[in-house]
Order: sequence, then structure tokens, then C-alpha cells
Amino acid sequence: MEVLRNVTRHKLRSFLTISGIVIGVLALTTMGALAENFNALLDGGVTYFGSNIQVGPPDGQSASLLPISKIDEIKQIDGVAAAFASYGFSAKPGQITAVSFGIPDTIVAGDPAENNWAALKTTFAQGHQLDASSTGQVVLGSTIDKEFAKKIGDTIDLPVKPSDAKPDFVNHAFTVVGILNPTRTAPDTFAYINVADGQTLLKDSLPVAIRDQIDVSKITEAINVYGKPGTSLSDLDKIADRINAQVPGVKAVRPSQLVNSFKSGGAIFTAITTAAALLALIIGGLSVVNTMFMAVAERVREIGLKKAVGATTFNIMGEFLVEATLIGIVGGVVGYGLGALITIIANATTPPGQSTLFLVTPNLTILAIGFATVLGAVAGVLPAWRAARLDPVTALRNE
Amino acid sequence: MANVRLVNLTKQYKRGAEVIHALDDVTLDIEKGEFVAVVGRSGSGKTTMLDLMGLLLRPTSGSLFIDDIDTSKLGDRQLAQMRARRVGFVFQEYNLLSGLNVLENVMLPLRYVKDGRKRGAPRAVELIERVGLSDRVRHRPTELSGGQAQRVAIARSMVNSPSLILLDEPTGAVDTETAQQLVDLLKRLNQEDRVTIVIVTHDLDIAGQASRQIRLKDGRVLTDERVGAAGAGSLGVPVA
Ligand SMILES: Nc1ncnc2c1ncn2[C@@H]1O[C@H](COP(=O)(O)OP(=O)(O)O)[C@@H](O)[C@H]1O
Ligand SMILES: [Mg+2]
Repeated sequence: MEVLRNVTRHKLRSFLTISGIVIGVLALTTMGALAENFNALLDGGVTYFGSNIQVGPPDGQSASLLPISKIDEIKQIDGVAAAFASYGFSAKPGQITAVSFGIPDTIVAGDPAENNWAALKTTFAQGHQLDASSTGQVVLGSTIDKEFAKKIGDTIDLPVKPSDAKPDFVNHAFTVVGILNPTRTAPDTFAYINVADGQTLLKDSLPVAIRDQIDVSKITEAINVYGKPGTSLSDLDKIADRINAQVPGVKAVRPSQLVNSFKSGGAIFTAITTAAALLALIIGGLSVVNTMFMAVAERVREIGLKKAVGATTFNIMGEFLVEATLIGIVGGVVGYGLGALITIIANATTPPGQSTLFLVTPNLTILAIGFATVLGAVAGVLPAWRAARLDPVTALRNE
Repeated sequence: MANVRLVNLTKQYKRGAEVIHALDDVTLDIEKGEFVAVVGRSGSGKTTMLDLMGLLLRPTSGSLFIDDIDTSKLGDRQLAQMRARRVGFVFQEYNLLSGLNVLENVMLPLRYVKDGRKRGAPRAVELIERVGLSDRVRHRPTELSGGQAQRVAIARSMVNSPSLILLDEPTGAVDTETAQQLVDLLKRLNQEDRVTIVIVTHDLDIAGQASRQIRLKDGRVLTDERVGAAGAGSLGVPVA
């Protein structure tokens, strides 16, 4: 094909041009994958927090403790279909979390039945759900499972004992009964246990002075409230308002408030992608424009000859546009390929237990390659137009 | 029906305040199948006349008919189609695209006509054979001699079966013997295909072999003689 030959005739120049696009698309792909990864994380948050109402202690109460009896009061509120006690503990207490973009390892205690209500569905890679009202069982998220390299039937001591643990530090052995599939969001770093075990851990966490005066079986840290399946976000907000009005001693957070904070987080990463795309546009676009203008300058007589044998302005324009687009496609595919390779290697070399940083989605693939293609075509328009308008006689006499 | 008809055809160039009459009020007919040599000193307007007949230039005034079509009424696209289908062009130099091989060069004009490549491929192969380059089909232009390159250009000019071939000093860069071989080839094509040939040349020996000689001076026709040596449509009668 002549177009291919034109591109390969000036190997160095084409190489440099394509490199320009490759760098741009590479930046776009890696930054985009980073943003997609965060967006997946945030989408998880939006899905989860958009599906229930978080009820905690009222403003001004420092300890995160609530009488479990509040669950029954909340269930009386109009629109509430289910409410569950919920406890959360750091799985690795005392560890200074290095700058990490993921969610820290967390022990979550709750009723396994809550999974039927949660919008963020988890599925099992191995094993099964916690047996209702059993103790000493744990279900691990995919990342935390890799971190500790546990199989079904293994035991894991939770919380993990820190190296500088105080003498009164206690933890408990749990048997792994299930391992979840990756979700790319919160559950990946979670270890799920039953309510009774959660209450045990809660007791361990209380100051020694009051530990024995409190009946932890009557206490929860938080209550997750659900409406009927399909309840809209605004209706959930209204339920939250009713809980605050009618149940004393608790504070329900409007889910839309949480959802909005996640969404504004997503906007930042969208800005990162846009910036990367802009970078690609400038670097790649200018190199294509430059190359195509050079190609036009040195093929003036060729254009004259083609016109002399019957080519129209439109034909010539088409030929140059195809060439510019081809440069764009090649640069796009190579840049995307390299970018994807980098993300694969980076993800593969992430230490187990740390959340991976990159997520290459089909949308990103289409964006990166499509972008480079359009870039090549757009950058080629001006040079192609200039080439096509050349007067054949002048062009043929060009030295 | 004249193959080409020039009526008061004029091309002027402005250079500053000066007006150059590159072609000045020329009226003449060229019949189908004629073998016409255009001669004259450098700057006399030969190339201008050929470029006008090849629709590469638009005249300043006057009209040009090809196969009785008034070309002054045609738009850019229609002119391009006329160039592709009815006229073949051979230049003195830079005739071939260096990125294409012999066959691809011959097939170049087929690109610009509908279904050209499909219908024209056998014709291209046949023409390469007729110009004696069957063993050079896949060669690049840089691997050809000057005479061979011009044969390729001639084959290319014929590929869309035009009624008219225009050659601007095609033998200017080759030796006398090679030049004669090219002229012999042109005579053969002229006779076998009844294609009209208009050749600009400085070589009086070549001009003498044409059926008609048009001599230009300062953009005007000085003499126009039919000599009857060759050409299917030649009348052998000198014209004033
Ligand atoms: N593009 C142009 N601009 C100005 N003058 C031109 C141009 N092309 C040709 N001329 C002038 O027109 C006259 C005829 O030129 P040309 O047709 O090339 O003559 P020939 O081919 O017989 O040597 C010359 O005086 C030449 O300088
Ligand atoms: Mg000339």
C-alpha cells in the first residue's frame, strides 16, 4: 500500500512522530487507568452508601456506642425494612499506614443476612458465607486474603498483633470459611465476622476500667438501615430525617450526603484524565501537524502529477488524511499497548495486600486508541488541505 | 468533430505591471488521430498551450473544446474527470512516483476513475507489454533508464484510453537513439489506437516525422503545416 510506504519511507521522521503520539497516549492510558481505578473504588462507595442509611451515636457523643435496642425503635419508623448492628475494627491496629490509595484492612462484624440487603453484592471465590450465629469464623476479602496467604480452613489471628503491642493486647483465632472475589472496592480489604465475635472485639477494645461493667451484647457501634429494595436515594434521605426526628439518642446520616462526597472525589480524577488527554493532544497533535507539513512540502511534485492524471482536490486531501490517521492509529495502538503493559506490570508487582493502582477498562481502551486516531486525522486536516489546493502546474514545476 | 478545438485561446500572466502574453489569441482544430508536433523557441508558449489543452491551466480568455465539450463550463471535479479519462500527459521529467513500482505507476490514473482499478488492471499489463517493459513490472523508477521511464509514462498516459496524449519535451533528457525509439513507439500507438498525439519538441528531426507541425512564436501560431509523413488522420495539406 502506498500510504504505508509513504509512512515507512522516512523511517526516522515517522518514528519520531509516532513516538510523540505514543508518549501522549501512554500518559493518557496510565493516568486514565489510575483514574478508572479510583472511580471503581468510589463507585463502590456510591453504591454502598447510596443503598442504606448509616446510623451512629448523636453529635457530641465521643464513644461510638449505641444501645442495640435502638434497632427495634428504628424498625418502627415508616419506610424502614431492615436494620442491622454493625461493628468495625482496624485489622492492623497501631500500624502507621504508609501513604496508600486503598482502603485500610478492616474487620467488619455484622449479620450475614445483611448481605441480602446490601446493594454492593459480593460473591465467593471459595468457601461460603459465615454460618449464622456461629463464632470464630471469618470471610476474607480478596486483597486481605492474598496479604496473609490464607486458604479455606486456615486460621488467622485478628486483629493482627502489632510489633510494639502493649502487654494487655489480645486477639482471637478465626477460621477462614470463605474468600470473596475481587470487587475493586471496599470489601477487598475487609475481614467479615459475626456479630457475637464483633462484640468480643468491642469488649477487648474498651478501657480495662469499664470493660467488665458493660454488657457488650447490648451494644452496637453503628446501625445500618435499609428501605425496601428499590427505595430511591431521596426517599432514603427522608427516612434518615424521620429517624432523627423520632428516635432519640441516635444520628442518621442522609445517604445523599455521603454519595455526594464520593462523587466530588471522582471529579478530581476525571480532571486528571482530562489533563492527561490534553497533554497527549498537544504533544501528539503538534508532531503530526509538523510531519504532515513536511510531507506536503516534499511531495509537491507528486501532488502535481496526481492532479495532472485526474486526482481531484478531494482525492489528494483524502490521501493525506489517511496517512495522518494511520500515523495516529499506529501511535495510539503502540502507546496504549505500552501503557497497558506498564499498568499490568505495576499491578502484578504490587505487594500482596496492597490495593492495585491501575484499572484498564474497555472504555479507556476505546478512548485512548480512538483519541489518537481522531488526533491524527484532525492534525492532518490543515496540511492535507494545503496539499490538495496546490495548482498542478505550479506543483509540477516545483524544484 | 474535432478532437481538440482552440478558439481565440489566450493565457496571460501578470508580472508586476507587465502582462506576459504566454498564449495569444490562438484558434486551431486538432482532428482525432493526428500526430502533431509543436515547435518554437523557448518561451514561445508551447508548454502553456499544452497545459491549457491538458486542462492543467484555465485560459484568460477564449475557449477550449475537447471532443466538443466546452471545458470553460466545467467545474473542478469535472475537469479532473476529463483529465483522468480523455487526456494523457507525459512530461520531460518527474513523470513517475518513486514510491510506486512500474505497474503501480501505470495504474495511477485508474485510481481517479470509478471502478478504474478493477477494469484497468489488464489494460495496464497489456500497455506495459506494448511499451516493451514486461520484464520490469515490479521495478522501481530508480532502477530504470531514462528511456524506460518515459515508456512507463507513455503507458500510464494511455491507461484510461484517452482520445488525446500530450507530451511536453518527452525526449529532452535522452540520447538521440532512445528518442527515436520513443517516437517510433508513439507512432505505433497513434496508428494502432488512433489516439491523437501532440508532442512539444525542440528536435526538428522528430518534428519532421509528425503529420502536422505547429510553430509558435511569442504565444502566436507562426506556421501550421500538415506534412503527411505519419498520422492516421493526416491530410498532407499545408494550412496558412
Ligand atoms: N506561471 C507563470 N508566470 C509568469 N509567466 C509565465 C508562467 N509560465 C510561463 N510564463 C511565461 O509565459 C511564456 C511562455 O512560457 P512557456 O509556455 O513555458 O514557453 P515554452 O514552453 O515554449 O518554453 C514565457 O515568457 C514564460 O516566461
Ligand atoms: Mg516548455
